[in-house]
Amino acid sequence: MFITGIYLDGKTSKRHKVRLLAVNENEPITFIIDEEEQLNTDPISCETLFSLAFSQLKITPQLGNTPREISFGDNELFITEDNNGISQLIAIFSGSKSTSILHKLETNLSLVMIFTLATLAIVWASFVYGIPKLSETLAYQLPEFVTENSTSSLDLLDATLFDPSALDESRRQHIDLLFLPYIQAHARLKPKLLFRSGMGANAFALPGGEIVFTDKLVELAESDDELLAILFHELGHLEHKHMLRRMLQGSMVTLAVIFITGDVDTFDLITGLPTLLVDLSYSRQFEKEADRYALDQLDHFDLPLDSFAQIMQRLDRDKEKSNTSQRSKSDFFSTHPLTEQRILFVEQYKNELQAH
Amino acid sequence: MDTVSTEIEQAAVSSKGLLNFEFRGDGTEYFKIWIVNVLLTIVTFGIYSAWAKVRSNQYFYSNLYLNNSNFSYLADPKAILKSRIIAILAFIAFNVISNLNPIAGGVLLVLLLIAMPYFINKSLEFNHRMSAYANIQFRFKASYGQAAMVLFIWPLIGVLTLGILFPLAILKSNEYLVNNSAYGTSKFSFKATYKDYGMIFLTMIGIAIACALPIAAISYFIPEMSILSLLLMGCAYFAVIVYFVVSTSNLFYKSTSLLDHHFDANLTMSGLTKVILHNLFFTLITFGLYLPAAKVRVAKYMSSCLVMHAASDLEGFSAAEQENVSALGEEFGEVFDFA
Repeated sequence: MFITGIYLDGKTSKRHKVRLLAVNENEPITFIIDEEEQLNTDPISCETLFSLAFSQLKITPQLGNTPREISFGDNELFITEDNNGISQLIAIFSGSKSTSILHKLETNLSLVMIFTLATLAIVWASFVYGIPKLSETLAYQLPEFVTENSTSSLDLLDATLFDPSALDESRRQHIDLLFLPYIQAHARLKPKLLFRSGMGANAFALPGGEIVFTDKLVELAESDDELLAILFHELGHLEHKHMLRRMLQGSMVTLAVIFITGDVDTFDLITGLPTLLVDLSYSRQFEKEADRYALDQLDHFDLPLDSFAQIMQRLDRDKEKSNTSQRSKSDFFSTHPLTEQRILFVEQYKNELQAH
Repeated sequence: MDTVSTEIEQAAVSSKGLLNFEFRGDGTEYFKIWIVNVLLTIVTFGIYSAWAKVRSNQYFYSNLYLNNSNFSYLADPKAILKSRIIAILAFIAFNVISNLNPIAGGVLLVLLLIAMPYFINKSLEFNHRMSAYANIQFRFKASYGQAAMVLFIWPLIGVLTLGILFPLAILKSNEYLVNNSAYGTSKFSFKATYKDYGMIFLTMIGIAIACALPIAAISYFIPEMSILSLLLMGCAYFAVIVYFVVSTSNLFYKSTSLLDHHFDANLTMSGLTKVILHNLFFTLITFGLYLPAAKVRVAKYMSSCLVMHAASDLEGFSAAEQENVSALGEEFGEVFDFA
């Protein structure tokens, strides 16, 4: 048998048309120069380049329909597009039809389909269950010093977004006093109440235990119970270590996407959007968890559950007033669940309580 | 076998003058390779990713043809795996230390910044060395100072001059990339001017203003159409980005030469937009399964826009001496996200 290809000596880029000739497993393989393609008509005028044993050749495994390379000697190379010829050559000398396992996997259509389904299932399961579960476990395992490092993030927020609170002293003292027993009940979370102004009605929990209420939120609330509902929601974020878990989940998602797509640089737009959507869906789950915690606590301390629904509605109306753009009907692109859903959840929670 | 010999014949005839780049890969074929890579990577908890990277790179290099000869990718997966493990361990150590002791973390960050030019040089060296055409490898050799200038100093000057010298920073980084590259013993050279890049930036500003004025007018006079203006803003942003990619790529190849051989590229905004929108649409509706085919489509489009004006046949290049080079720079760059 023979294989037509190109020989490159590894020293220059000069291409030589060459034929590889193999007779049987006991004879060496010869490479014959065939520049004018006269091998068939005038074999005597063709110069034999060299003869080599099969064991001296290193043949690249098949990869799609790409050309095969046989390397030997000092960086010398024989390139051919004749994949069948190479298979025959390997069959003569190693006695088997040894195509590589990878190539077999890649060309077997039903296997490829099974692989595709398996990959989709694994990716789906790890995004929905695996990553959240793993980060939850990690979050509770991590030593305290890793999680308590949020003073710097408060400093950063103070320098950029926040201004000092403008609430009058008596109002602040009133809230401090109102919250005191509940903060003491949560002493293990080391909560620390802070007031700031400089942005809309909002409240945050930082991983170190700082709970920030904005002035506008304090002004918006019309009863003490509404403020407590917010406090419990933020304590829920602390209790479940949400900030840390979201950070962990974010890096795991990024890592998974890098592994799956192979490289990141070319597809920032295409991989960026799904990554964002996954992150937002994790965020909404955390909000639901914090809502449930808030309702649990309200119930535990015999406070009206409706105060949670009331402050949610107030926040929603407040946002609508300050925001002229149309509100979306879906929560797909939002960090928090829709207000209607959160209020519905309060009703469901009440029904659950009655059922017990 | 006959097709092989006729192709070689064509190569001999057309080995002077205008030579085309061509990508002969196929989306379906690459999908199969990709899905096997992904699943093996998942079940080996990422260890296979080094092999996956090599196989995928091999597919793209081997299918890229110039003058009927293909490129090849030579990296050894084991070298990549080793460097990946070192880089990931360093990354974890860095995070743990900066959490334990923010001051030590800060010191490490400064050290990392100092080491960055070195790693970028190493990464380019590795990638060039592992790329070959006609059995001759590419080379890259740059000094620490050159890399540091391109990485820190020129961009800083660009920012300090309020962007006026930012085109110069891009010019300098391309000069660094091309002038330090070689094919075997032959060096590449890059010839573009500040004006070339300045014009691109001026045009970008022009497009932005031309789009911003009607958008602002719409949202001022018809506030109910704010959704529309948001949409238009997205389109304008997209147009500016596509213009930037098209014009800088074309300029990059036009300005690059290898000895007396010159390159040229004719990417168009409509061509690239079509490719991007097509890829985006199909990738989203197939939950990402179109990603490999999208990558093939980009490679096909880019190479179809690329030509080489050869002054003579391409057979006179010689290989440079062999040297060993590790993959560490490349993997460090990937993990710390700076290369």
